[in-house]
Amino acid sequence: MNLSLESLRPCLDGAIPAVVATSAQDGTPNVAYASQVHYVDAEHVALSYQFFSKTRENVLAHPYAQVQVVEPGSFRHFRLKLHYMRTETAGPLFEYMKAQLAGIAAQTHMDKVFVLRGADIYRVLDIESVDPHIPPASPPSDALLSLRRTLDRLGDTTDLSDLADRGLAALTSGFGIRHALLLMLDEAGAALYALGSLGYPDSGIGAEVKVGEGLIGVAARERIPIRINYRTGDYAYQTAMRATHATEPRIPLPVLANPHSRIAVPLIHGGRLLGVLYAESEHDAFFSHADEDALVVYARHLAALVAQAACEPDDAEPAHDEPAARPTGTPLAVRYFAADHSVFIDNDYLIKGVAGSILWMLLNEHAHNGRHDFCNRELRRDPRLPLPDFGDNLETRLILLQRRLAERCPTIALEKTGRGRFRLNIGRPLQLSA
Amino acid sequence: MSVQLTVEQTVFLQGPLSMNVGAVGRDGWPCVCRAQGVMVARDRRALTVLLSASRGRAVIDALDAGSGITLVVSRPSTHATLQLKASAATRATTGAAQRACSARCVAAFADELKGLGYGAGLEQALAALLPTDDLVALRFAPEIVFDQTPGPDAGRVLARA
Repeated sequence: MNLSLESLRPCLDGAIPAVVATSAQDGTPNVAYASQVHYVDAEHVALSYQFFSKTRENVLAHPYAQVQVVEPGSFRHFRLKLHYMRTETAGPLFEYMKAQLAGIAAQTHMDKVFVLRGADIYRVLDIESVDPHIPPASPPSDALLSLRRTLDRLGDTTDLSDLADRGLAALTSGFGIRHALLLMLDEAGAALYALGSLGYPDSGIGAEVKVGEGLIGVAARERIPIRINYRTGDYAYQTAMRATHATEPRIPLPVLANPHSRIAVPLIHGGRLLGVLYAESEHDAFFSHADEDALVVYARHLAALVAQAACEPDDAEPAHDEPAARPTGTPLAVRYFAADHSVFIDNDYLIKGVAGSILWMLLNEHAHNGRHDFCNRELRRDPRLPLPDFGDNLETRLILLQRRLAERCPTIALEKTGRGRFRLNIGRPLQLSA
Repeated sequence: MSVQLTVEQTVFLQGPLSMNVGAVGRDGWPCVCRAQGVMVARDRRALTVLLSASRGRAVIDALDAGSGITLVVSRPSTHATLQLKASAATRATTGAAQRACSARCVAAFADELKGLGYGAGLEQALAALLPTDDLVALRFAPEIVFDQTPGPDAGRVLARA
């Protein structure tokens, strides 16, 4: 096998349907279209199993097949000799193929027909180039160069807030990505919340996605990158948003209504899932296999920086509460609901959960004790806050709170005064009720 | 005995189609090759399918060795697909008519793909990929015809000899 399977990955994106030839036990040939020939690793591909077809009947009895795939752009054909190994009906590979199949199905208007039942794994025994005289398609953009540019742009930072902003902005210069989100895993590991966004009219900071919900949630649950290259209604968030109870306060995820290409890549460090990097485009087939590889590396780098930022020690000098001018004007009505720690300001939803309880504690400390200056250490020790042991979550929650306030209620602001230290600035009197 | 294709199936076979021929080699390996033209006999009981000798070497060898043949034809814009099978195929002569048929089928296929947004320059690319200078014609009388349009009904028998 002189050709490597890696070099054929552009043929395995579902842009041009593949065909699979099999043989019945009596030697009768069968040829069928394969919705999806998925690259598994350097020696294996997986074919989607949607119905109990003749192909499936044949390979279960006689486990040999030949698949013909076509390179988009050049239309060069390649034939792969395959040996059927097994079928997977759950797990990361199955979930990836299920998501990708949804994209392929929508592109071919077969959404109602294509439902994945299993991922049939085949070992690739041989690859034949059918058209060696045809020049290859022009190569896709150099993903390694894109990654290098993105990392150059990102630079070194151990400030989480800076990291969230630069981590997304760098994607534009490197990969041409114009719409992206950085989401962090919450304390319970049940949901992700948007800490930063790029290229949306509403930032969506604080928007939540349940683990397992949509493309982002599935990528988080399975801890795998998932790339969909065509527009599909499956895995869309708009529907999920509409289905949410109207009474439940929720910040809408600011994703595109009809993205044509999407990719979700988990941020994993030291075996722990920290969050998900999500990017999307209005164009079909925007992300290549190589882009997926590069973004996986980038997400690992981001995860390492996030973890490093969380380990940075807080500033040593004590907090000094400088007296602030007493605010004047119409009081702001701040209402707190202990059930979900949600905070409403003048009846408008601001935030809930850990960030909501932090804000409520800070405002009470300010109202009852006149305090402005706080440090992360005291927050970590405060029994009123539902915080886990992980320091990075506190820092990300504070950034989330700071950003939500800046967007929705600039009268209340959190100003960073040092590492692990911040000041609460309040521009109007407060009327707290719970 | 062979199946007589319906008029609708015959019309379909003359449309812009993606065509692939499958066979099973003497070693038991299934093989497939893109076909580049199909002609239906006047009595609608036989077909002649056109392959490139160089691109379809394994399939042609398998058929020469007595393999059964399967032809799958699909219209890209609708996904309507037929599969026709026979227990054997024989070589037929190729000439100007076959070359003209292949050129017409490849052009129609390219035109169909162009309409689906597969990009400019498609006619030239497919013409270069599927030239008419080394055609092999394979004649067979279909014994069974399946509806192979993707979906839960794929594999339904439409006609059996």
